[in-house]
Amino acid sequence: MESPAPRQAAAELRAAHDDRGLHARRRAAQGRPVVGYFGCDTPVELITAAGALPVRLAGRAGRDTSSARTYLDGAVDPQAVNILAAILTPQDHDPVLDMIVITHDCDASLQLFYTLRELRRIGAETFPPVHFVDLLHLPGEPTRRHNLGRIRRFADQLAAWRGRAIDAAELAEAVADHDAARAARTELRRRRADALSGSEALRWYAAATAMPARQYADTLTAALAGAAGDRPAGRPLFVSGSTHDTAEVYDVLEDDGWLVVGEDHDWGDGGDQPLVGVPTLEALTDHYTRAVLPTIARPPHRMARDFSEAVRGSGAQYVLTYCRQYDDAHRWGHPARAAAAGVPAALLREQPYSDIDLPQLSSQLLSQEARMTR
Amino acid sequence: MSDRTIPRPRLNAAGDALRHQRDWFATLRGQAEQGRPFALVNADVPQELLRAMDLPYVVNQWWSSIISAKRMSGRYLEALRERGLPDDVEQYSALPLAEALSPRGDDAPWGGLPLPSVVLADCSGDSLRRMFQLWESELDVPFLPLESAAAEIVPENWWELMRHDWEMAIGTARIDLLHLELQELVPRLEQLTGARFSPERLAQIMALSNEQAEWNRRTRDLLASAPQCPVPVNDVIPAVMIPQWHRGTPWATAAAESLYREVSSLVAEGSAVVPHERRRLMWIGRGLWFDMDFYRSFEQSHGAVFVWSMYLALAADAYARYGDDPLRALAARFCAFRDQMYTPPWSVQWYTKEARTHRVDGVVHLISPDSRASWFTTHALRQAGIPVLEIRADNADGRSLDPAALHDQVARWIESLPDHE
Repeated sequence: MESPAPRQAAAELRAAHDDRGLHARRRAAQGRPVVGYFGCDTPVELITAAGALPVRLAGRAGRDTSSARTYLDGAVDPQAVNILAAILTPQDHDPVLDMIVITHDCDASLQLFYTLRELRRIGAETFPPVHFVDLLHLPGEPTRRHNLGRIRRFADQLAAWRGRAIDAAELAEAVADHDAARAARTELRRRRADALSGSEALRWYAAATAMPARQYADTLTAALAGAAGDRPAGRPLFVSGSTHDTAEVYDVLEDDGWLVVGEDHDWGDGGDQPLVGVPTLEALTDHYTRAVLPTIARPPHRMARDFSEAVRGSGAQYVLTYCRQYDDAHRWGHPARAAAAGVPAALLREQPYSDIDLPQLSSQLLSQEARMTR
Repeated sequence: MSDRTIPRPRLNAAGDALRHQRDWFATLRGQAEQGRPFALVNADVPQELLRAMDLPYVVNQWWSSIISAKRMSGRYLEALRERGLPDDVEQYSALPLAEALSPRGDDAPWGGLPLPSVVLADCSGDSLRRMFQLWESELDVPFLPLESAAAEIVPENWWELMRHDWEMAIGTARIDLLHLELQELVPRLEQLTGARFSPERLAQIMALSNEQAEWNRRTRDLLASAPQCPVPVNDVIPAVMIPQWHRGTPWATAAAESLYREVSSLVAEGSAVVPHERRRLMWIGRGLWFDMDFYRSFEQSHGAVFVWSMYLALAADAYARYGDDPLRALAARFCAFRDQMYTPPWSVQWYTKEARTHRVDGVVHLISPDSRASWFTTHALRQAGIPVLEIRADNADGRSLDPAALHDQVARWIESLPDHE
């Protein structure tokens, strides 16, 4: 496929973010299945190798979540509630799913799975088949062995679903395609701070999880060819804490004069991954056990080191730890992150999905800045 | 609240357990001050492994309950806030950390918890792992985490399977994982503490703890079938839970037997907490540690008695694991422990079963901020025709609710229940 022109490529990436069902509909029109997944450590290569399009499930601002709240509200990130609402009552732009895959990357993922499992058991709702892949992330050998068993099982489930085992050639092609996407994402991380607004960068990242991997790699590479020039204006801010699966919060921040130059959540820079390389289940196991660490599974010493390097590398002069309601785990690490950052650092807690308390952010950061420059 | 409690002799089993716990803790404190290592462990950690190493341990949530009962939770949690850490997240697990980060005072509960030599917790929930990492980063206490695996498919009626058919009930993959982790944990603990693991001792501990569970099962069954409830729940809780934290010792097994024999005598005598029992209530959720008298405050006014808490019922159904390999049986005891009480369908089926067997007229369902799947629990009970009152509060943080308002709310709800007479 010929690579699109940079401007067109950028438009395609934005379109894939703004309408996450766009490529799913195209795939479905070709008679090919779509698998929605929840969890940053989902082995997407296996889904691709099984002939399906993996689409990471995302929330949407303004969605009516009342029915989903009934089941899942309380102690669970409202992002997961928003996604449950999309599963139970899909709307325009939601991908039409043939299967749902959930991993164990955080508590919200696990609770979403348990909720769907029980809703099906009691017959309260209808939705596509759901598979749970229990991938864990402690560094020891018991965890790796457990994960290898889970990945083999998932490959078997996909094979049973489509009626044919995943063969070596299919897996090799899928690994190569997703590695190409990873390499392109890494280039985006390297260049975004000097070329793109934070919200544009996040849109380009998010497109990765709604497009076919090879097409994404080509499109992103083409878009990056045109992404040169001056750093956008704004007070450079590094975003940590809860994930952002849409660009709404970044839009609000940048409309207020901030510029998001980096983040460590897995929908953005924090989703950067090394290449898998070897197309085997063992290599996928190593990758998803040790190279793809959900935020909550990152050891503190590594987290502080990575955080400090990421803040410095991005050129950020401010840090925000953004915590959505019930997504409080990030609060335990905020004092250490703030100390490691060496720049004013704000903590916003109990934030609603897709919104942010801007006055509180400014108040915290600017008052710290005044103290630090005194 | 004029009739908060009815004076009556405390269960001997409860009084004995409380005395034993104070003596045990004083000894542990004394030994710790002389340099003997001890561990702080989360409730879902396989404590029997430490016992088989003769390594003393304190259970994190038990110590939280002591802090809470002494009304010290607010002060300690303030120490978290002063460090920029959350004082409103999983307080039940955070209180011992909060105490360790607080200035030492003369009024610490039971003299205060010495700094542990090592802390252990499973990685259930996002906050718990981060919280326990602070023991290491802030206090230089090594943190040894264990995974918390989850199952895609589970069978029905776990309580009928767990004692012997746990491999099928839980699934081999989860048991394999914890079994391997425990095998790796032993040399790490030996290295950190100098303690030595004895497989023979573990076999004895598992045998004793299974025996303890059988006594608890008899007690639970007796209370379920008794015409009237003969013992108050706030006596049953310490009489069961303190021996639970000493699980696998001759003392704990004897304590469980004593509780059974005492309850059995009371049933035989026709004893009743409320002479004219009108409503039998079930308490789902953790204990309201900062106001244990709450459970008895509707007896005179409403003839209402709490006949059930999860502590005895879990002790009856959730611990026993028989098998030829003690370490694997121990892994099976804990690798799905939380599912038994918090994860549907297991949790909801079990609560419904227990509500029916105890002939309850209504359920007070405490939903802590970190509770999960509460809608399904309430839904299942109501589908079974059992009225449910939901209360949202943290059980260990006295700041999270007004006891008088809670009492009034529950009183009004009890008045709305039909008499079971």
